[in-house]
Amino acid sequence: MKEDQMSQKTDAILKERSRALAKEQDRTVVDRSFIEITEFRLAAETYGIESLFVREVYQLKDFTPLPGVPSFVLGIVNVRGQILSVVDLKKIFNLPDKGLGELNKVIILHNDRMEFGVLADAVLGTRPVALDAIQAPPVTVTGIGAEYLKGITGERTVILDAKKILEDEKIIVNEQVA
Amino acid sequence: MDNENEEFLKRLRETFRIESGEHARVMSIGLVELERTTDSKKQAEIMETMFREAHSLKGAARSVDLLDIESLCQALEGIFATLKRQEIALNPGLLDLLHQTVDRITLLTPYAEKEQATIRQQQIEEMVCQLNEAAKHASTPIKQAIPMPWPGVESPSRQADTVRISITKLSPLLLQAEEMISAKMAAGQRASELQDIDRMICLWKSESEKWKKGRSPGLGWDDLLERNEERLTALQSQVTATTKAALQDQRAFKRMVDDHLEAMKELLMLPVGLLVEVLPKLARDLARAQGKELELTIQGAEIEIDKRILEELKDPLIHLVRNCADHGIEKPENRVRDGKAPCGTIRLNFVVKDNRQMEISISDDGSGVDMDKVRVAATKLGLLQANAEKYPDPKETLQLIFHSGISTSPIITDISGRGLGLAIVREKVEKLGGTVSVISEKNAGTTFRLLVPMTLATFRGVLVRVRAYIFVLPAINVEHVLRVLEKDIKTIENRETIQLEGQILALARLGDILEFPVRENAFAADKASSRPGESYMPVIILTFAEKRMAFLVDEVLQEQDVLVKGLGEQLKRVRNIAGATILGTGKVVPVLNVQDLMRSVVRSTAVSRKAALPGITPARTGKILVAEDSITARTLLKNILETAGYQVATAVDGADAFTQLQNGEFDLVISDVDMPQMNGFELTIKIRSNKKLAELPVVLVTALDSREDKGRGIEAGANAYIIKSSFDQSNLLGVIRRFL
Repeated sequence: MKEDQMSQKTDAILKERSRALAKEQDRTVVDRSFIEITEFRLAAETYGIESLFVREVYQLKDFTPLPGVPSFVLGIVNVRGQILSVVDLKKIFNLPDKGLGELNKVIILHNDRMEFGVLADAVLGTRPVALDAIQAPPVTVTGIGAEYLKGITGERTVILDAKKILEDEKIIVNEQVA
Repeated sequence: MDNENEEFLKRLRETFRIESGEHARVMSIGLVELERTTDSKKQAEIMETMFREAHSLKGAARSVDLLDIESLCQALEGIFATLKRQEIALNPGLLDLLHQTVDRITLLTPYAEKEQATIRQQQIEEMVCQLNEAAKHASTPIKQAIPMPWPGVESPSRQADTVRISITKLSPLLLQAEEMISAKMAAGQRASELQDIDRMICLWKSESEKWKKGRSPGLGWDDLLERNEERLTALQSQVTATTKAALQDQRAFKRMVDDHLEAMKELLMLPVGLLVEVLPKLARDLARAQGKELELTIQGAEIEIDKRILEELKDPLIHLVRNCADHGIEKPENRVRDGKAPCGTIRLNFVVKDNRQMEISISDDGSGVDMDKVRVAATKLGLLQANAEKYPDPKETLQLIFHSGISTSPIITDISGRGLGLAIVREKVEKLGGTVSVISEKNAGTTFRLLVPMTLATFRGVLVRVRAYIFVLPAINVEHVLRVLEKDIKTIENRETIQLEGQILALARLGDILEFPVRENAFAADKASSRPGESYMPVIILTFAEKRMAFLVDEVLQEQDVLVKGLGEQLKRVRNIAGATILGTGKVVPVLNVQDLMRSVVRSTAVSRKAALPGITPARTGKILVAEDSITARTLLKNILETAGYQVATAVDGADAFTQLQNGEFDLVISDVDMPQMNGFELTIKIRSNKKLAELPVVLVTALDSREDKGRGIEAGANAYIIKSSFDQSNLLGVIRRFL
């Protein structure tokens, strides 16, 4: 009888433990649904882009504007001997110009086929963001910029879809003079 | 373990593919040669080579377990053996079969998919059978081989990216690389010398600090001076020695690096023969397919040029040879009728020109380009006007064949007729910084001339300034740099021109052609010099493909070597810009594309000429809103703009205009300044502060000719400001064109 009680108790403890263990496992599953983002500022807004697609962050010292390119192309820069184009997302998202200063950085995005820089008014750092914390952008956000958005976090950080931006044909300049 | 074996076999087969390609290439060239020569001694020589090639390939195939290729090679070997023994004679059918076999070998991949393996096996067996039959009988009629696609065959365009480098080129390179060890050591030596100097200075400084604080008892002023003297002398001799050594290093390193760079470039120089060896066979196949006879001769195949240029030239040359074979060379019966030899000739000549350039000429003795057909095709495309009584002269007409979509061929075939070939040729050659031209004479033939650089690496560039920006122009396109008096710029048909050595040249302002914002320009009139017409302006004369044009710049800076780089993945092609270079200061500077510049000038000229001609409505797209309170002025503006081909809407004042702008889509606004309700400045400010309209170009047209008003216009954010008194329609249309 006593033993029985004991074994029941033991059972209960074991069950409790296994439940706890199971919970622990659940949490690790959630852990895997985090992405690391590089956070930066565009005008007064905070944006984030998946760090997986960020090659490096480069201090914007000097750039060369090009005539005959769409307004979202800021110009070209020299990154240790490599020439890279820089895209000004503010022109795409219709954000006010802030002028260039010391805080300006170029976030170099890349995948296996595309590579270019994105102008940031300031880079804030990197941090993990849970995927389930990313909500759909408000319906009022429309236009060309909207398709580049992955979503928005509770802190109002706009998460950009780096993959889409890199793969977008519209961002490529390929123009002939007929 | 199995995996490892598989990996190894895969690598082996990759190597085999390169090797088999080489053997097959030699055989293919040999076959063409065999067909051409009648000298029996030479024939025997070639057959011997072919026999050996087939034999080596057979061995190689066996070593990587490719039994089907081995059996093909064995059959080939058999045929060459019998040919050598003169048991059978060469005949066209046999040659075709041999060509087909070699082609198959070139195309066969080392691995076939399982399900395809059996079909491939069958087809190879059939070919082997044919070959064996042919070897047995002196003259078997060879049945036409089945031209069905073979499985396990890949497109021939995929080539192994390897270069064979002779050891004589490689050895000095290694020596040079070893020499750089001395540079490394010298740099280390210099660094330690500088550290010594730094230590001496630190010591000296701390001693002098000590003395100042009076902690060096017994050391008087005289002693200090004496000691400082000593220290300074020692330091100076040290610095002098290091400086001298550093200068020596610098000279040595410069030579080392330059030599090394030169040798590396040398490595990439390959004989053009590698490029053209496929062409005789190509010409032969084309001729046979069309029932023509033709021979291709090549001269200058030993000239070496940069591998990267060589690769880019491959397609253009193939296109041109096809073009000659397809359009140029006539059928034998037609040739005989015209009193020519039945066999046509295509001559391919490579000649080294000055300036490290190479000229390639491809000429045929065929029928020449049919000018009438070119004109018909060009008219169809709208490049020529159908009713034009005066066609451009034949030379200019001929240039039209490089236009995409122009073809004189009545039908589209797999070989030609789509009119793309020559456009691609031009594009490829121009991308290399080369030019292509053509001359043609009826019944005598056509000659294409390609002028290309032999090396890619660096070229001379002329740096010019336009407004605040620096651009590079390729020196090869710069014919002259001169200064002209402003008053010597005369307009003809509203286009600016200058006179140079008796020739009238079109003059374009580089800033306008590069579409610099008009604002700076439109308001720049105030800055005109005190004596109008007396100031000198720098002008640069550019040439491209026999065209000359003058460009006005703000300053010509200098000439220097530049290394052209691409603009990055995102900017595949930007109009008027060929690439960019990095100056010694690290500054990135765009390199201009001279051909684009000329086309841009021609384009803008064509537009303004058409606009000036009454009755012709060029297709201008764009919707313009005109805000003007005077009905006369409003109607006048509407008329001018509609004649120029724009869609026009009108508004009676600023408020009306703003309402319309918010509700419709417009590409530009032309507004009067003085209007009731909301004037032009207020309208401009409202437009600029509206998110949707912020980028909309605004042109202010006004009777007010005062500095303050221009200033207000700029402040409000207008893009241009046109005074009614100086108002003429071409001026207005010119301004609008910059925005639309």
